[in-house]
Amino acid sequence: MVTLTIDGRVAKVPAGATVLDAARAIGVRIPTLCQHEALEPWGGCRLCLVDVTKKEWRGWQKMVVSCMFPAEDGLAVATATERVVATRKVVLDLLLARCPDTPLVQRLAHEHGIERTSYQPNPEPTDCVLCGLCTRVCDSIGVSAIATVDRGAGKEVAPPFHQPPPDCIGCLACAEVCPTDCIPYQTSDSARSIWGKTFTMVRCPHCGRAHITREQAAFYAGRGGVPESYFETCDACKRTQMAKTFTSLSAVR
Amino acid sequence: MRIESAAAYDELRRRAREEAAAHRQEILVCCGTGCLANGSMRVAEAFSKELQARGLTAEVGTFTKRTGCHGFCQRGPLVVIQPAGVLYTQVKPKDVPEICEKTVAGGTVIPRLLYKNPADKKRVEHYAEVPFYANQTRVAMRNIGKIDPTDITDAVAHDAWAGLVKAMLEMTPEQVIGEIERSGLRGRGGAGFVTARKWRACRNAEGERKFVVCNGDEGDPGAFKDRSIMEGDPHSVLEGIVIGAWAVGAHEGYIYVRDEYPLAVVNLTVAIEQARARGFLGKNILGTGFDFDVTISRGGGAFVCGESSALMRSLEGKVGEPRQKYVHATDKGLFDRPTVLNNVETWADVGAILLHGADWFAGMGTEKSKGAKAFSLVGKVKNTGLIELPMGMTLRDIVYGIGGGIIDDRPFKAVQTGGPSGGCVPEALLDLPVDYERLTEAGSMMGSGGMIVMDDRTCMVDVARYFLSFLIEESCGKCVPCREGLKQMLVIYDDLVAGRGKPGDIERIETLAAGMQLGSLCELGKSAPNPVLSTLRYFRSEYEAHIFARACPAGMCRDLTAYEIVPELCNGCHLCFKACPADAITGETKKVHTIHQEKCISCGACYDVCPTAGAVRFFPKNGAREREAV
Amino acid sequence: MNGRTCVDTAPLDEILTRYPASEAALIQVLQDVHRAYHYLPCDVLVKVAEALEVPLAKVFSVGTFYKAFSLVPQGRTIVRVCTGTACHIRGADRLIEEFERELKIKPGETTADMGFTVKTVNCVGACAMAPVVIVGETYHGGAEPAKVAKYIAEKEADHEN
Ligand SMILES: Cc1cc2nc3c(=O)[nH]c(=O)nc-3n(C[C@H](O)[C@H](O)[C@H](O)COP(=O)(O)O)c2cc1C
Ligand code: SF4
Ligand code: SF4
Ligand code: SF4
Ligand code: SF4
Ligand code: FES
Ligand code: FES
Ligand code: FES
Repeated sequence: MVTLTIDGRVAKVPAGATVLDAARAIGVRIPTLCQHEALEPWGGCRLCLVDVTKKEWRGWQKMVVSCMFPAEDGLAVATATERVVATRKVVLDLLLARCPDTPLVQRLAHEHGIERTSYQPNPEPTDCVLCGLCTRVCDSIGVSAIATVDRGAGKEVAPPFHQPPPDCIGCLACAEVCPTDCIPYQTSDSARSIWGKTFTMVRCPHCGRAHITREQAAFYAGRGGVPESYFETCDACKRTQMAKTFTSLSAVR
Repeated sequence: MRIESAAAYDELRRRAREEAAAHRQEILVCCGTGCLANGSMRVAEAFSKELQARGLTAEVGTFTKRTGCHGFCQRGPLVVIQPAGVLYTQVKPKDVPEICEKTVAGGTVIPRLLYKNPADKKRVEHYAEVPFYANQTRVAMRNIGKIDPTDITDAVAHDAWAGLVKAMLEMTPEQVIGEIERSGLRGRGGAGFVTARKWRACRNAEGERKFVVCNGDEGDPGAFKDRSIMEGDPHSVLEGIVIGAWAVGAHEGYIYVRDEYPLAVVNLTVAIEQARARGFLGKNILGTGFDFDVTISRGGGAFVCGESSALMRSLEGKVGEPRQKYVHATDKGLFDRPTVLNNVETWADVGAILLHGADWFAGMGTEKSKGAKAFSLVGKVKNTGLIELPMGMTLRDIVYGIGGGIIDDRPFKAVQTGGPSGGCVPEALLDLPVDYERLTEAGSMMGSGGMIVMDDRTCMVDVARYFLSFLIEESCGKCVPCREGLKQMLVIYDDLVAGRGKPGDIERIETLAAGMQLGSLCELGKSAPNPVLSTLRYFRSEYEAHIFARACPAGMCRDLTAYEIVPELCNGCHLCFKACPADAITGETKKVHTIHQEKCISCGACYDVCPTAGAVRFFPKNGAREREAV
Repeated sequence: MNGRTCVDTAPLDEILTRYPASEAALIQVLQDVHRAYHYLPCDVLVKVAEALEVPLAKVFSVGTFYKAFSLVPQGRTIVRVCTGTACHIRGADRLIEEFERELKIKPGETTADMGFTVKTVNCVGACAMAPVVIVGETYHGGAEPAKVAKYIAEKEADHEN
C-alpha cells in the first residue's frame, strides 16, 4: 500500500494504482474523458491534470495527468491549483470549439464556467472528441478493425479506406464505450450494422433472442478453441441451463 | 582483416597513413548533398579523367577524393587541393583542365576561382584563412571534408575507431561512462540532457535485452548538421554507437534516418559493412566476445518522430504518437526494453572524447555547456553553411564574424534558434554567449543547432505564424491542447497577418500559449508556443502595428502592404518588369516604370530585385496615406 | 474499395522477402512499396497487412500518418518545394505560386496528364542554398520564380525521352 495526500486528504491505495484511482477511492472528483477502467490509460484528453509535489522537491511542483501518474508514498496532489484550473479551462474551451453541439462537452465546459467557446467554433461540428476509447477497446478485444487516420488537425477515427471494415465483428464495444455516443449503429433481431457493415444475428436456440453476430461467434470460437455453437446460446440461457444442471445434480445426490 | 588488438589497429592505421602519404597531392571534391546539387559529381569525374589523361596520377601522385560536406555549400561545388590547402569555390567541370594544369601541375593559383571575402573584397587563397573556417573548432565534424566517407581505411588514417579500441581494450564500461561524465557531454539533439546520466541509468536497468538508438530524424527546418555528419563521416557516428552499446550492455541498435536523406542511408550502409569486416561491429567485436549490430531504419516523414518516445513507436512499426513518460526510456523504451537514445552529433562526439580524453573536451565551452557544437548558419547572412564552434561564442561573432554579416548589409533583426521549439533572439542580445542556459534564458533553445538569421525584411508575426502552420501539419493529434490549440492559435495569426487583428488578441494568445505549455502531452505541444512567446517578448510593437495600425513594418504581410515606384529614382533598368509574376509593372527600358495597384499581388519581387536604392518602396495598405492626403 | 485498378504484385512479393514478417517492419515495407509503385495501392496494403499479420486498420493508420506516403497515384516527377524556415524567409511562397501558375495545380495535387505532382517539404537539409526546389532528383539551390518554367521544361524534355 502507498499513502499520499490529495487536496490535503489522506488516501491509501495499493502499489501500482494511479493518482486518479486514489482520488476516486476517497471521493475526490477529477474530470476525465479518455480514461476507462477496463483499458490502459492513454493520456490524450488532458482533463485530469493535477499538480504533484513531494517534500524533497523543495517547493517544485509538476503538472501531470492523474490517470497515468503512479501514486507514490509521500506524494502531495493538488487537483485545483490556479494553474491546473486555468489549463483545464483552456482544454475545455478548445474542446467546446471542436464540439460546440455535443452535450457532454457542453456540460463539462459549463461546470468550469464556460458557456461559449472563446475560440472559433468548428465550421463542421463533430461529436468525436478523439478520446481514442473506441480504437483502444477494439484493440483490446484483439480485433483492431478501426484506427485513427491522418494526424494533427485532420486526425479522425475511421475504418481502413473509409470503407466497411473487413475485420469488424459487430460487437458494438466501440459504440458502447464512446463517451459522446457518436458512433452510429443499428441493431435488431435480424440484423446489425455499424461502420457501414451489416451483420446477421445469431439467435439463441433456447429463447430465440438475437444476441450476437455470426462474426462475433466465429471470432470468440477462433480465439478460445471452444466450438462456435457454444456462443450461440445467449448468456441468460446459459445461466438457466447451468442452474438446471446443478439442480439435477443435487437431486441425484 | 579483423582487428583484435590495439597493436593490430595501430598497424592498420600506420599503413593507412602511409598509403595516404603516397599521394603527394590530394584533390578533395566535396560530394555532400549541397555540392552534388551544384554538380560536383561531374567535377569529380572530370578530375579523374583529366588527371589520368595528363598522367598526373602516376607522375605527381595526385589523387581525387570525394568527401562529405565542407560546410560552405552555398559556394559549392568546393574543391580543396592538398597539401597546399588551396580552396576553389563554385568550380565547374570546364574549370578542371585549367586547375590541373596551373595548380596541380604548375603549383600556381587561379585567382578567379578563389573565395572572395565580402568584407574586404579580397580573394583568399587558403582554406584555413577563409573566415568561415578560421574560427571553427571541429569535434563531431572532425573528419568531414577530409575523408572519403565510403572508405574505412581513409577514415582510420584519420583516427576513426581509435576511441573504440581504447574504450574496449583498455577501459571498463564504468570507466567509459565516467569519462563521458567528466567530459560534461550533453545531448546535441534537443534539451541538452546529460549523456552519461542516461547511459548509467540504462546500464543499471534490469533486463538482458537493451537497445541503443541514434536519432537522425533532424526535423528542425533550417538545420542540417546531422545530415552532413551521417553523409560525410558515418564512422564517427557508428563508433560512438558501438562505444555506447558496450558501455550500457546493449546488443542491438537502430539508426533512425530522416526519409529526405537518401545519401546518409547509402553512406551509413557502406560504413556498416566495412566496420563489420574489420571487426568493429557485429559478432565478437575486437575479439572481446562482445556482440553488437545496428540496423538502419528510414523515417516515414513526421517531425514528431524526432521526439524520443514517438521515434521508438515508429521503430516498432506504429504511428508516431508520443507516450507520456512517467517511466524513463532507460527503463522501458523501445519494445519496452531499457533504451539509450542520443542524437547523431552526440554519438559523433563520443569517439573523440574517448580518444582525446574528457579534459580535452571539457576544456572547451562554458561552465555548464562543454565542448563544441555544430550549427547550420542560414537565412539572410552572406556566408551560409555548416559550422562547429566551441560553446560560448557570441551570436555577434557568429553572425558577423563567420557569417560575414547580413546580405546587402541590411539591418539585423533576429536569429531564430531551436527550430519550431525555439525562439527569436533580438539584436539587443547579440552579445549573448551561445550555450544551453543562455539560449533558454533568452526564451529560445539550442535544439538541433539551426541558426536562421533574419533581417528587417522579416516580419516577426509572420515568422511565428510560419512555425504554427508548420506544427499544425506535424502535430500527431493525440492530445487536445496541441491539436486544437495549434488550430486556434493559427486562426488568430491568420487574422493578424490579414489585418483582422483585434484588441485583446495578444492576451488571448498568451492565455492559449500557457494552456498549451502546461497541458500538452509531449514537448512538441509544450514548446509550440515558444516562437509565439519569444516574438511577443521582443517584438511586441510589431504585433501592435499589425493590430492597431493594420500595418506590417517589415512589409512582408501581403494583405497589409502595397508597393510603388518612386519616379525620381527609377532608372528604367527593366529588372522589376521581368521579376513581377503578376504582370503588374509597365515601363520601357530607360524609362520610368509604374506598378499598377489593381494587378499587384504585393509579393515584393520588384523590391528585392531593384538595384537602385529606394526606387521601389512599400507602404501600409491601411489607407493612412489617403487620409493624410485629404 | 470499388473501382480500384489491379496492380502487379510481383514487386511486393520481392519486397516482402527482405523483411521479417512482423509489425516492426511495417514502415520499412511501406517505404519500399512506395518506391516501387510511387504510391500505396490499396490492394497492396491489404496484402501487406496479411503478410505482416498486422490489422488492416493499423496499416491504413500508418499509411496516412506519415507524410512520405501517398494513397493516390503520383505524377511521374515529384516537385518538392522546400518550405523550411530558411527557405520560407528567402521567398519559398513565391516559388509555390509560380508552380501553381505554371502547372495549374496546388501543392499536393497532380497534373491531369500525371506528369507532375507538386509537394511542399519542410527542409531538405540544403538550407545554405535556400530557397531550394527539387524536381525529380535534381536539386535547384537559390531557386528563382522566374526560372520555374525552365525547371519544368527541363524535366518535360526528360519525360519525352
Ligand atoms: C517534437 C520534437 C522533435 C525532436 N526532433 C529531434 C530530432 O530531429 N533530432 C534529435 O536528435 N532530437 C530531436 N528531439 C529531441 C529528442 O526527443 C531527444 O531528446 C534527443 O534526441 C535525445 O538525444 P540527445 O540527448 O543526444 O540530445 C525532438 C524532440 C521533440 C519534442
Ligand atoms: S463493433 Fe467492430 S469496430 Fe467496434 S469494437 Fe467491435 S469489432 Fe471493433
Ligand atoms: S468516436 Fe467516440 S470513442 Fe471514438 S474517439 Fe471519438 S469520441 Fe472517442
Ligand atoms: S503535444 Fe502534440 S505531438 Fe505531442 S502528443 Fe500531444 S498532439 Fe501529439
Ligand atoms: S528595378 Fe528599380 S530601377 Fe529598375 S525599372 Fe524597376 S523600379 Fe526602376
Ligand atoms: S483522462 Fe487522463 S488524460 Fe484523459
Ligand atoms: S555539400 Fe559541399 S560544402 Fe556542403
Ligand atoms: S529550409 Fe529549405 S532546405 Fe532547409
